Amino acid sequence: MTEFLQNLIDGFGRGSIYALLALGVAVIFGVMHLLNFAHGELITVSGYVAFWSFGQGWSWWLVAPLVIVTSIVTSLVIERVAFSRVRGASDFTLLLTSFGVHFVVSAAFLMFVSASVRTFPRPGWVANTYSIGSLNVEVFDTVVIVVTIITLIATTVILQRTMFGLALRAAAADFDTARLMGIRSDSVIRGAFALSGHLAGIAGVFWLIRAGSTDPSAGIDPMLKGVLAALIGGLGSLRGAVLGGIALGLAEVLLRSWLPDGVASLTEGVVFAMIALLFIFRPQGLITVAHAERV
Amino acid sequence: MLEVAGLTTRYGEISALRDAELSVGSGEVVGLIGPNGAGKTTLLGTIAGLLPPAAGTVTFNGDDITGAAPERLLRAGLALVPEHRRIFVDLTVEENLKVGGVTVPAADRAELLAEMAERFPVLKEKWTTAAGYLSGGEAQQLAIARALMSRPRLLMMDEPSLGLAPLLVDMVFDLITSLRDAGRTLLVVEQNASRMLEVADRAYVLRSGEVVATGTGEELRSDEDLFATFVGGGHQ
Amino acid sequence: MGNGLFPDLRRDVGFPFGGALALFIVLVGAGLLYQTILGTGSAERLVTVMLIDAIVVVGIQIYVGNTGILSFGHIGFAAIAGYAFAVLAIPSSQKLQQIPDAPLGLADTDLGPWLALLIATLFTVAVAFIVGVGLARSGAESGGVAATVITLALLFVTHEVARNWPELTGGDRAGLSFQVGGRLDGRLPIYLALLGSLILARLYAQSRSGRLAVAAREDNLAARAMGINPLVQQMAALLASVVVVSVGAGLRVYADGSILPSDFFFDYALLTLVMLIVGGRNSVTGAVLGVAVMTAARELARRLGQDGFEIFGLGLDSAPLDWIFRENLQTVVLGLSMLGFMIWRPLGLIDDWELDKWALRLLGRGTDTRPEGDLERQDTPATTLEAADIDVRFGGFQALSGAGITATGDEIVGIIGPNGAGKTTFVNVITGMVTPTAGRFSLDGRDLVGVPAFELSRLGLVRTFQNLRLFNALTVRENVEIAALVAAAHRADRPLRSSDALIAQAGLWDHRDRRARELDYGNSRRLELARAAAMAPAFLFLDEPTSGMSDTESVAMIEQVRNMADTVGAGVVVIDHDLNFITGISDRIYALDQGQVIAAGTPAEVQANPAVQAAYLGSAADRVAVGPTDNEPD
Repeated sequence: MTEFLQNLIDGFGRGSIYALLALGVAVIFGVMHLLNFAHGELITVSGYVAFWSFGQGWSWWLVAPLVIVTSIVTSLVIERVAFSRVRGASDFTLLLTSFGVHFVVSAAFLMFVSASVRTFPRPGWVANTYSIGSLNVEVFDTVVIVVTIITLIATTVILQRTMFGLALRAAAADFDTARLMGIRSDSVIRGAFALSGHLAGIAGVFWLIRAGSTDPSAGIDPMLKGVLAALIGGLGSLRGAVLGGIALGLAEVLLRSWLPDGVASLTEGVVFAMIALLFIFRPQGLITVAHAERV
Repeated sequence: MLEVAGLTTRYGEISALRDAELSVGSGEVVGLIGPNGAGKTTLLGTIAGLLPPAAGTVTFNGDDITGAAPERLLRAGLALVPEHRRIFVDLTVEENLKVGGVTVPAADRAELLAEMAERFPVLKEKWTTAAGYLSGGEAQQLAIARALMSRPRLLMMDEPSLGLAPLLVDMVFDLITSLRDAGRTLLVVEQNASRMLEVADRAYVLRSGEVVATGTGEELRSDEDLFATFVGGGHQ
Repeated sequence: MGNGLFPDLRRDVGFPFGGALALFIVLVGAGLLYQTILGTGSAERLVTVMLIDAIVVVGIQIYVGNTGILSFGHIGFAAIAGYAFAVLAIPSSQKLQQIPDAPLGLADTDLGPWLALLIATLFTVAVAFIVGVGLARSGAESGGVAATVITLALLFVTHEVARNWPELTGGDRAGLSFQVGGRLDGRLPIYLALLGSLILARLYAQSRSGRLAVAAREDNLAARAMGINPLVQQMAALLASVVVVSVGAGLRVYADGSILPSDFFFDYALLTLVMLIVGGRNSVTGAVLGVAVMTAARELARRLGQDGFEIFGLGLDSAPLDWIFRENLQTVVLGLSMLGFMIWRPLGLIDDWELDKWALRLLGRGTDTRPEGDLERQDTPATTLEAADIDVRFGGFQALSGAGITATGDEIVGIIGPNGAGKTTFVNVITGMVTPTAGRFSLDGRDLVGVPAFELSRLGLVRTFQNLRLFNALTVRENVEIAALVAAAHRADRPLRSSDALIAQAGLWDHRDRRARELDYGNSRRLELARAAAMAPAFLFLDEPTSGMSDTESVAMIEQVRNMADTVGAGVVVIDHDLNFITGISDRIYALDQGQVIAAGTPAEVQANPAVQAAYLGSAADRVAVGPTDNEPD
């Protein structure tokens, strides 16, 4: 029981990071119908900025906000340079464009920096734990879960209470009609990329703290987790994205503890297989967003 | 107020609208009638910036607005209530209206919201309900109210009575009448020609992408051949 | 028009065979020329790699090109085939050192490379079949995001398994390897495999299955309306493509002498996809061109990345730009190519241009003859369509309430009614695109509710679409031939007219080799009519065949529809707003309003009916509200 609770907390911690990534993927899918395979590159870029900052002798308190700002700026730059040119293109083109961005960014780091892994110090408190009864809870997990909850609340407030959030939701539901209401397509798409970058930035801080390093292909893993979680939840549903992220985190942690030793190293493979099965039986994900086929 | 000259719109190589001429004066209610596929929605969509024109000009209050983006046109004072209403079903009634008023200053928006609540009591009752739960008639009122939130100088409506039961059709035309009496300028596409002609100052009849007749509501209504012109005449 | 796998032997077998051979000669010739000029071992090695890449890329093209679904999974299949090949082919003496604990006694097996390649291919095809069922269950559509993510998941599953199952795969670092001496030492197997792949890819594209898959790629819904089950054709394309990819992967492992998890992962997926899209993913020629272009570009980038390379005397040794040309320039070239092509030229350099099709056009210009018209009414079995009490609700909207018609195979029945009356919904029900909430419809007494759209059209209920759904990238002739292929398989009890005869009769003979997307509106409508007629339908449902046509054109359409129906002996149910057209063409008319039939009879009767006039001109307030309060517009 204790172990299960411990896994649950661990899973929520992991899942929280995925949820933030997935939410960013879902926001962009909502306004542009783009499944962003380049989402992880925000973390790659942030990782190198973090590495450079530590070289300047800065502390995490300075680096964390810098990572977030970097992520937002990178997101906007990618939109401007690549995605703004393929707006409204076919799914095939959109998917491969984002895949191309992923490779250009990682190749740029390969070329201009180096292929080797760059490490940086992790804050001292990360490995600390505290006890509640028989539970040993990681400080890191606690911080991640608390910050994620705060971020989700703030995001909800932005989406529900501000005119920008309203415009974003309207545009995600029906882009043409939103424009008829006077919503500027450029602003709302850039806003979506900024919001997505912001969420990825917060996730990125945690991701980098946990990894303690970055390398040119560091973006693949967070991209995959974000994209898969968004799909698990049902693309186009923001609530689904958050649920999908948590579900993915829990599945990983629980499977790792339940699978017999010999196969435990295959956890990721099992998770992918489960996701593939989920899509086979529920291609729309957990939360279905109905799309009527017009004849 | 609105002048359309030689407007042609193509889908690929298909001309859905050919050489359309149309004008709307300030305070006028103008109807656009004709069978399905005649190009009415295409004409409205081209004026509103949803479709790129292949030729011709659209002038609004003296400014050339041909091919301008819909978000710019709305700011110029041109609002469209789209076909099939296209309300945001996941947003509440209030949020739908706020989106409609996205271009007006926040203080004015609150004022407009109060005005809409007063004018559309049905909407006030369902203020915080997701718009997807509204009935067809309520949804149509919301779509019109949402367009009014931008304080348009010209309000265009595309098939406002489409798919509504007779009683609700009455409601829509009562609403058009009250907007007319309030001095609004309206350009309305309607399938329901005879009702439209009752409320319109003038109307244009479209067929096969061309304007085939125009006149006051009275003139067109008294035209014996209207039924034929409307649903299959013109080449007899 | 044959019934078999290939409609026309000369066009669909002979020329593609020659085209594949020509592509093979050009690619191999270019490679041999390059390695002879340079005369180095590394140049020879480069050409070997290029030829194997070509096999894999051509294999991917069979699936991606014909179905339009972006797949990362083919590199996953390559990994499966590569490992299966290595595990089976490496001599047991070496395996006992590398993977002594392999399950199923695999460490002790000695199959030799060619048997191993065969078994590895069969195994991978079996895996592909299971994945293909999954893709089918996800309702894979061209460009479908869910299908692409399933393939991405497959790539990651194989990668994770390869890394984390060292007992079988040798793990992340050691991998599996052939000891020196046991490796592929000649090009012959590669040549044979490449030639075979090119022939298979071209033959598949020209085959019945390939054509039907391409139709579904162009318009999934229209394909289903033409009796095509896209999922079956996608499965066929998947299996054919996986055979080729597996052989390519096995040869690559054999030529490399080793396999590591990273050999078949993201980098290889990037490389092969770029090769595919640069030339043009919809053509085999494009795939080969892409392989050649990208191999050359990468080689150039690699050489620039080395120190001291000279191009035409311009040395880059210790040049100021030296810091840029590191070894990773290749990856940058690939990433930028992918991005650039997607932004500026998403269909690649040559789109769907195909060498043998071009040659066929060149040689065959003017040799085909316009078929003589035959407007005699065909004798066909008497058929009756009955639909009664059909209800359709969409959420809260009642689109149809109790609507019904009867029609026989020798008449033209019109359906009229104002916008939103439920006419299109009615046709959608009869053709299986919408399932009715209640009610029944039958053809000659056979109940058909719940039968999928592609089955209904095979039974003879064939439709056209209000908003035109042609297979846009295909020519007029190909559009009609696709329907004729389906008819040959499923409508053989009816008199089948040749595609060319129908094209000529629709007045499209002069446009027969133009793409559907290049046609004007009237011709597009006529092509849709001819395509539907080629299905040898029992009933032809025409949804607003004159919408958007000029008055003169729509009058002419009356004769065209009549002739076309006579030619194939079909009954017609036609929806239109144009009363002139409808009364001119119909034997009987049903008038629909608010989802119900409000009048039925001869054109004159219906036209004179006051309820119909009211419904059209809308004195709605005078009518009593019956039934639903709301109506979904169609």
